[in-house]
Amino acid sequence: MSGSLALSEGLVQSDINISRSRDDDLVARAKAGNREAFGLLVEKHYDFIFRTACKWTGKKSDAEDIAQEVCIKLATAIQQFDGRSAFTSWLYRVTLNMVRDMQRSTSRKSKTIDAFTLVHPEDDPGGQEEATTAHEIWERVGALPDKQREAIMLVYAEEMNHAEAAEIMGCKEATVSWHIHEAKKTLRGLL
Amino acid sequence: MTDEALSTLKSLRAPQPSTEARKLALNAAMVAFDAAQAKTKISEEAGFFTRLAQKMRGGWIAAPAGAAALALLLLPVGYQALNSTSMTRLEGPKVGLESKDDTLKEELAKQAGASTITSTTTEAPKPEGEANVSPQAPVVVRGGNEIGRADGTVVLNAPESDQRFVMGAPQDEIAADALAAQPAPSVTAKMRTVAPAAEATLGIASQTAIPLEPTGDEFAKFTENGVKIVSEEPVSTFSIDVDTASYAYVRSVLEDGYLPEPDAVRLEELINYFPYAYQGPDSLEAPFRATMAVIPTPWNNKTELLEIGIKGYVPPAEMRQPLNLTFLIDTSGSMDEPNKLPLLKRSFGLLVDQLQDGDTVSIVAYAGSAGIVLEPTKATDRTKILGALDQLYAGGSTAGAEGIALAYQVAEQTKQDGSVNRVILATDGDFNVGISDPEELKTYIKSKRDSGVFLSVLGFGRGNLDDALMQSLAQIGNGNASYIDDFREAKKVLVEEGGANLVTIAKDVKIQVEFNPAVVSEYRLIGYETRALNREDFNNDTVDAGEIGAGHTVTALYEVTLKGSGGELNDPLRYGPAETVDATSGELGFLKMRYKAPDGDQSKLITAPITSELMLDDISKASADQRFAAAVAAFGQKLKGSNYGEAMSWQQIAELANSSKGTDPEGYRAELVQLINLAGVLSPDPSDGGRSACDDPNGAKTDCPSMME
Repeated sequence: MSGSLALSEGLVQSDINISRSRDDDLVARAKAGNREAFGLLVEKHYDFIFRTACKWTGKKSDAEDIAQEVCIKLATAIQQFDGRSAFTSWLYRVTLNMVRDMQRSTSRKSKTIDAFTLVHPEDDPGGQEEATTAHEIWERVGALPDKQREAIMLVYAEEMNHAEAAEIMGCKEATVSWHIHEAKKTLRGLL
Repeated sequence: MTDEALSTLKSLRAPQPSTEARKLALNAAMVAFDAAQAKTKISEEAGFFTRLAQKMRGGWIAAPAGAAALALLLLPVGYQALNSTSMTRLEGPKVGLESKDDTLKEELAKQAGASTITSTTTEAPKPEGEANVSPQAPVVVRGGNEIGRADGTVVLNAPESDQRFVMGAPQDEIAADALAAQPAPSVTAKMRTVAPAAEATLGIASQTAIPLEPTGDEFAKFTENGVKIVSEEPVSTFSIDVDTASYAYVRSVLEDGYLPEPDAVRLEELINYFPYAYQGPDSLEAPFRATMAVIPTPWNNKTELLEIGIKGYVPPAEMRQPLNLTFLIDTSGSMDEPNKLPLLKRSFGLLVDQLQDGDTVSIVAYAGSAGIVLEPTKATDRTKILGALDQLYAGGSTAGAEGIALAYQVAEQTKQDGSVNRVILATDGDFNVGISDPEELKTYIKSKRDSGVFLSVLGFGRGNLDDALMQSLAQIGNGNASYIDDFREAKKVLVEEGGANLVTIAKDVKIQVEFNPAVVSEYRLIGYETRALNREDFNNDTVDAGEIGAGHTVTALYEVTLKGSGGELNDPLRYGPAETVDATSGELGFLKMRYKAPDGDQSKLITAPITSELMLDDISKASADQRFAAAVAAFGQKLKGSNYGEAMSWQQIAELANSSKGTDPEGYRAELVQLINLAGVLSPDPSDGGRSACDDPNGAKTDCPSMME
């Protein structure tokens, strides 16, 4: 069979690919019921989940709640990951779904007394002004309709290209571009 | 400037998560994992293979593409690991397992002490061969593995430990639902408080679902009816539709602060949700009657709106036939939410209160607690019926259900001459009623319909609803599909419209309108996209169509462009055919309706000309019902981002609806006004600082989300 041939041809050394293959290994084992593999996988990605949640909610405590929910969800949801996209892309979507669920639930809406916890690198006295601006922009973006906000966040905050954002959003690339276009139209007067 | 401002977003950094929260989350994950594994084991012991094999044979509804890969992967590794037996050789042309060297064991040992693993410790060991297989390439399964146990924990031995699978055929329709569909385990060791909604939707983040839609509900895609040129297509044919599920769904989504997906907005269901006071027929000779009017279109001052309102006959109380109702109730675990099974119980309680002494009720549960819950019982014994309803509980997996066959069997048992026999299926979207192939299910329901037992479907909850299947099952079963989101809706569907929804007075009702090209140049049917019929289907009695119940009202709207009005969207043809029609007749068109008696096979025809006398020159002269129907249409069009819905602002629509509320004793119309305002907040008009969908002058029209998604 061509299996061995494929193996030698496939010696791709880039870090990304290795990291991806690592994830695939762990995922496959976790799916098969391997407790350790699952533990490793979750530990490895906890920070990623938390950071993503934090970027979207702007609040550390919310992000921690969401991260925990995602971890719990992974125990079952992992079975649905089918390897067609990178594990991290998939995980991003799972996290994003959870963010939405959290934000949608009514009990959550009242709990907004928490301070905005995203920080700007220039959060020293001199850079304060810019940090405030970034916060303001973040809030304006947060007020956009769902799809527009998602498109803007993925493309500008996560620095993805439109194709990557489309994969996360589960729509066509052109649709992402359109959402961005619309969002900018709305934001133009505000920024 | 916008670009520059937005790019500051990327410099925002999240703080470090607290180690406490991190530890709690990881612990919770492990508890959940153990729970999930325990569940898997139980389902395996309960004949997992058998069930999976059955599913594979029968095909499966809405299986995520490529799930076969998952199933086959899980089978050998998961199952056999737990049984500690050697793995059998598994070969398949589409699904592959690649084995290669790895050092998991070693790595695990390395990790054993550390509680926090950073990305450096999980750096990949350089494998001997790194597979790089294209997703489409068929890969061979290579097994021959042994599984060992260490310290009571399953550890896969090298070299077999790396079970990488590669997706083969994306079209593969077999599913691994037996595992994937397991409800999320209830995790007791949760440390942080979490939002309930987050838990309710666990486990729907599959790769095939569109993740950013607010729910996992599925809707049939359809394209909005476009403008037709009368001289090319003078005849428009469709089946009536008395369903209202779309309105209830739209309402529930809007009230949650979201805009519904365009495909969830079916205009005719929005319009038909509301009661209209059309004049009904006097006798069952003609079981329904059409009231027509032509009023100026509120969103286009160059066109007219032809409104056709149909009302069904209401038989006098003494003519009421005994009802033979069989409730087929989904009791799967997912029904265990306040707005599902508990609401369903109270709703059916309402219905039972409406029954008369000669009526019969039976209850069959499927999924979870499956079987006959209540043998056919006369409505006189209300206590017994309500008691049986009360004892229903949701729980367990969705497997092992023979629900639908049992329900029909019970219904047929109790069938008597002159009785109205109906199975009422109540579910949150789990149609695992014993026949897993949707086509087979439809054929089954059709054969039962022909033998005189009809089917209605009530949808509960949100997040799992297969709207398209629900619609088509009800359509085939000569019944309605209703979506019940709260008690008020239950009251509307089961009490106020109870008679209409349960007693069919005419079936296979089709409408055909022929427009007069001398008077009308263009027309557009508003809604009914999913009910369109071919012109020749109208006279073909074997083609199924919608039903009208006692007292039902159905409204159909056409936006028509009169000749010479200047509102045409199409230019006249330079080489068009010579005028041959007698323009003096002045009729706009001719309405034909076909129907069958509920137990009849031969259709009857009702006709009426659409005369110019029906035309009103001012919308204020129209009746409140007619103006209100126009407002609902405008609302629906704007909500779904229709190409025809942009001209009116939300406020104008709200004003039109508000001014045409009429008496509105139940407050349905007042509620619509609120929904219009809500939609206006969620998707503001350009004048209010919002986007203007689909009217981008740069030709961005094709990029409209309503068309792309």
